[in-house]
Amino acid sequence: MRNVLTMVLYDLRQKLKDGSVLAFAVLVPLALMSVMNLVFGGATNVELKPITVAVAVPADDELAAVVPQVLGSIPEVSGMRITVTEATPDEIPGRVEDGSAGMGVLVPEGFSTALLGGEGPEVEVILGDDAGITGQVVTSILGTTLAQVTAGAQAADAAVALEAPLDQVASIAQAAAQEAPEPQWREGETASEQLNAEESVVAGQAGMFLLFTVGFGVLALVTERGQGTLARLMSMPMPHWLITVAKALVSFTLGLASMTVLLSAGTLMFGDVDFGSPIAVAVLVVLVVTATTSLMFIIAKVARTAEQASIAQAIIAIALGMSGGAFFPVTSTGLVGSLLALNPVKSFTSGLGITAGGGGVGDLGGVALTMVGFTVVSLLIAWLLPSRKDAL
Amino acid sequence: MTAIGHERVEPGAAAREGVPVLAATGLVKRFGSLTAVDDVSLQIEPGETYGLLGPNGAGKTTIISMIAGLLGPDAGTITVAGVPMSTASVAARRHIGLVPQDLAIYPELSAKDNLTFFARLQGMRGSALGARVTEVLELIGLTDRAKGPSKKFSGGMKRRLNIGIGLLHQPDLLILDEPTVGVDPQSRNQILESVETLATEGMAVLYTTHYMEEAERLCDRIAIIDSGRVQAEGTRDELIELTGGVDTIILRGSGELAAAESAVAGIAAVRHVHRERGSLTLQVAGAPTAVAPVVGAATQAGMRLSDVEITRPDLESVFLHLTGKALRD
Repeated sequence: MRNVLTMVLYDLRQKLKDGSVLAFAVLVPLALMSVMNLVFGGATNVELKPITVAVAVPADDELAAVVPQVLGSIPEVSGMRITVTEATPDEIPGRVEDGSAGMGVLVPEGFSTALLGGEGPEVEVILGDDAGITGQVVTSILGTTLAQVTAGAQAADAAVALEAPLDQVASIAQAAAQEAPEPQWREGETASEQLNAEESVVAGQAGMFLLFTVGFGVLALVTERGQGTLARLMSMPMPHWLITVAKALVSFTLGLASMTVLLSAGTLMFGDVDFGSPIAVAVLVVLVVTATTSLMFIIAKVARTAEQASIAQAIIAIALGMSGGAFFPVTSTGLVGSLLALNPVKSFTSGLGITAGGGGVGDLGGVALTMVGFTVVSLLIAWLLPSRKDAL
Repeated sequence: MTAIGHERVEPGAAAREGVPVLAATGLVKRFGSLTAVDDVSLQIEPGETYGLLGPNGAGKTTIISMIAGLLGPDAGTITVAGVPMSTASVAARRHIGLVPQDLAIYPELSAKDNLTFFARLQGMRGSALGARVTEVLELIGLTDRAKGPSKKFSGGMKRRLNIGIGLLHQPDLLILDEPTVGVDPQSRNQILESVETLATEGMAVLYTTHYMEEAERLCDRIAIIDSGRVQAEGTRDELIELTGGVDTIILRGSGELAAAESAVAGIAAVRHVHRERGSLTLQVAGAPTAVAPVVGAATQAGMRLSDVEITRPDLESVFLHLTGKALRD
């Protein structure tokens, strides 16, 4: 193993003398992070603005009073700032138009009748230009609540039709209402896996440039094959696999150093960056560096020249970086979402979302498994690919 | 340039009596449907300089890749200093020093760091390592430039460093793969002098080249390689014998060429005469002794000579004779 240490130390020494390592591993990503934070900083942070809701309720409809009650209870459960004001049906369009109300809700005549008859009562919602996401959230909560109430009424109606005892009718209606979808409000929990805009940029850029940085180790196999030093190394009195181990360790060391610097600098440079537990983040860094290093072995096996290797590396880095959220958050569901989840950069940013939300090492099972699987499959593919025949 | 010398601190295993430095038997290497090396056998004795002469693509580099343990043969065996060589054989590789055709040095490192790095990989440590690096720097004439980055060296200096790395551990067999390709004539001559010095000091050298004159100058024995096969093997004179040992004398001039043709044809050493306008081309046995009677007979017959050219057969002729094509084709 002394020979491995010798190769690693001399390799690192050369890489440090070569300014391109420092540029790709630290300077360029930090510069890009700064630029992107200036350009996009805060753009993707969702801020729920205060809103005034003008509500028109028929005067002689007791059950319709549930609508302003529901709206009035939203601030208690969510912290959203909502002001509910009463208005007549005729006033609402004008108030939304002139901006004195962000949105209007008109409860129609016959609301109770429709509800008690088991029909879904209709409520008209008028959103103003400035209603934004807050207006959509309020609309969604209102719709879900009405669905609950309707479900209970329909169940009660059915029970009465079947001549069920009165005490059972009440419990059936309650059960049905609870079965209906209930609005949930959660914020900043582990399962949400959300990074803010600054954190996304730091994590994504660090992940993308990691794919360049780790290439300086393993892909040196291709460069050295071209310049003849690989043949010379292979003629030394040591097993050939030690050369591969040394190059992998160089990649790993450079990757760890780069990620440590980038995540630390990102945390210090940008105001609202906190990735959470340092131990959990360290675990993620080790996993993503290992996974990306393993990918380099496939390129090293396939590429004939250093130029080919560089092109392949750049394509893969940008593709995985972008889909991993290096430039903007990417979310997908279904097959595409599943494929994206296999991307180690995506897994890394998802993992940081977990740690940023307060998660620890124990919460990283899914992303850890993905990255370990990625590493194993990459190494297996690289191993199965035929070796190049032209050592000299 | 300082000639690259070789001092044996301790005799290698091959220096032991009766053990060839290299014994390769029946080597075969295939790449898919291409048979790059086909039943090649070589043996090199201690202190011998052995040449592999052949055109580009003949299989020379594949042969030395197998000898250096970089590639495994599909068939055949190799021993270096009596130790079986394979891609997994660490012990056998201690006996060889490989100098690849490319400049196998790290350009960001200095000459001293390049030498130190490879000396460490050869297992040298401590004061012995430092002493040997200093010694080799002296041998290759780079002591004054020991600390500068090698990327700033001239081509000749890089070549010397390339060879110096191969000499660090005083191998029993130094493998030089086309060491003069792309080198200017002056540096080329310096490299050839260095190899001659190594040979006189007892190191066995395996030298691959497609330059006939290098093989003739340096090598005790030569294997002519083409299409992955050894076409012929022996000393220079033995190989030339394969062509029949016939020299060529060309007489150029005017006058009675027909009479001169008849006159020289009667000389015992002359095997064949071919007359063209203004010249006679003679195939003779032993041109140095035959040239005087040939010139005398031609002038007596009335030919006025303006030029006499003697061409002796060389390895180019041998290659042409064996393969039907020129060496540099």
